[in-house]
Amino acid sequence: MQGYFPLLITLVVAVILPIAILVIVKVLSPSVPSDVKYAPYECGLTVTSEAREKFSVKYYLIAVIFLVFDVETVFLMPWAIQMKELAIFGLVEMGFFLFLLLFGYGYVWSKGALSWE
Amino acid sequence: MPEMTPVQTLLIAIIQIVLVIAFVFVVVPLTIFAERKVLGFVQQRLGSTRIAGKLRGITGLQNRFMWGMGRFPIIHYFRGLPGLVGDIVKLFIKEDIRPAKADRFVYLIAPCVSMIAAMLVYAMIGFYPGTLFTIPSFIPLIGGLPVGGTIADVNVGLLMLLGIASVGVYGIVLGAWASNSKYPLLGGLRSAAQMVSYEVPLTISMLTPVILAGSLNFNEMTRVTATGLSPWGVIPLFIGFFAYITCGFAESNRLPFDMPEAENELVAGYHTEYSGMRFGLFYLAEYINMSIVAALASAFFFGGPWLLPFGLQRFIPETAFWIGQPHWYIFAVKIVFFLFVYIWVRGSWPRYRYDQIMDVAWKYLIPMTLVNLVLAGIVRYFA
Repeated sequence: MQGYFPLLITLVVAVILPIAILVIVKVLSPSVPSDVKYAPYECGLTVTSEAREKFSVKYYLIAVIFLVFDVETVFLMPWAIQMKELAIFGLVEMGFFLFLLLFGYGYVWSKGALSWE
Repeated sequence: MPEMTPVQTLLIAIIQIVLVIAFVFVVVPLTIFAERKVLGFVQQRLGSTRIAGKLRGITGLQNRFMWGMGRFPIIHYFRGLPGLVGDIVKLFIKEDIRPAKADRFVYLIAPCVSMIAAMLVYAMIGFYPGTLFTIPSFIPLIGGLPVGGTIADVNVGLLMLLGIASVGVYGIVLGAWASNSKYPLLGGLRSAAQMVSYEVPLTISMLTPVILAGSLNFNEMTRVTATGLSPWGVIPLFIGFFAYITCGFAESNRLPFDMPEAENELVAGYHTEYSGMRFGLFYLAEYINMSIVAALASAFFFGGPWLLPFGLQRFIPETAFWIGQPHWYIFAVKIVFFLFVYIWVRGSWPRYRYDQIMDVAWKYLIPMTLVNLVLAGIVRYFA
């Protein structure tokens, strides 16, 4: 675990750094509150409705497909390191795994989930 | 390496972190300045030469100074550089505005998350495999100990690097959602989908050096791709490099993939409601991410700390008279070159449409990188 201790220290420093910057800014910067200044930007128009409205279901779809592919890349990692040792067995196994994945990928593509109008 | 006590490890790590922070905070402002200048020259204008303000006071002094710089032959290219200091000072003394409808806590932490993720990735980047320099022995407690070129030299370095780098998207999405305004929300959604889509081909394209090196350790991978393959890694891994640099541009939200910002559609995208130093943190995180992408590209595909391919490296002395190892500087020069490529691309290419961006990721890059992976596997298995 020798190598992970410096990582922890880096995390602590990385957390402190932006907070320290923001604290310095808090001290240095003026504060002149006004309602107009704190209104959300809407190209000069009066805000009439809530910003968090419905949005396209496409984004959820992309997120779900991404999950599948991300897990796939995680499975590819150990194979990529050990591929010389796993030899032909690993190659065939990975080929089968990729085939199944590409089958699903083709299905998603044919259903039009990947095309944006 | 001698066994170190926790206190010594702590002190050495702090020295390394200070060095890395110094590197980042030198390279990032210079990149911002270089971007203004290079884009200016690409478009046949001068770039920034003066700052706004009166002719009195500090701004006046700066403007007069920059005017004076214009008289000298080479120095006049750097005329805007003192103005950059003015920009940074302005970021610090600008009023901190928080929109009334914003989610207070999330609005505060979003830029910090971006910044933390970007800084933390630098812990895994190996500037030099082995000892960078040895601390002189007259210093108490840590005298005579080596300072390595990597902060955290862990054996799952690349995996950890990719994992932490992907946390950066949270900063953008949280900031966009917390602002409670329409343009940031649109920008944030687009950016989430885009960054998430490009992460898949990015990871798969990074697997080709992993396959060739048989390791996830950053320094080991750099060493194998730089010295194991006959020339630099970019020649056998050409397709991987092409896919990687494309995804890298998209991941760091740069042109031609800067959909989250898209000034002419979404005002400023996810940081429309941010101003002052909170915007500054987002801005800083973006440039740090750029330098990370540049560092990975130069490490795995352009020989990293090794200067020359074809075994010509042995003519360069291992330890020069200048500070530390020459390799460190070579790596920095390569990073700076890739940062220049970023600006060059920004000056040359128009922005893609959103559907085109998603098409490139899902319909071209993913099949291409998968085929490339299979090819690399076959080559590695039979060669």
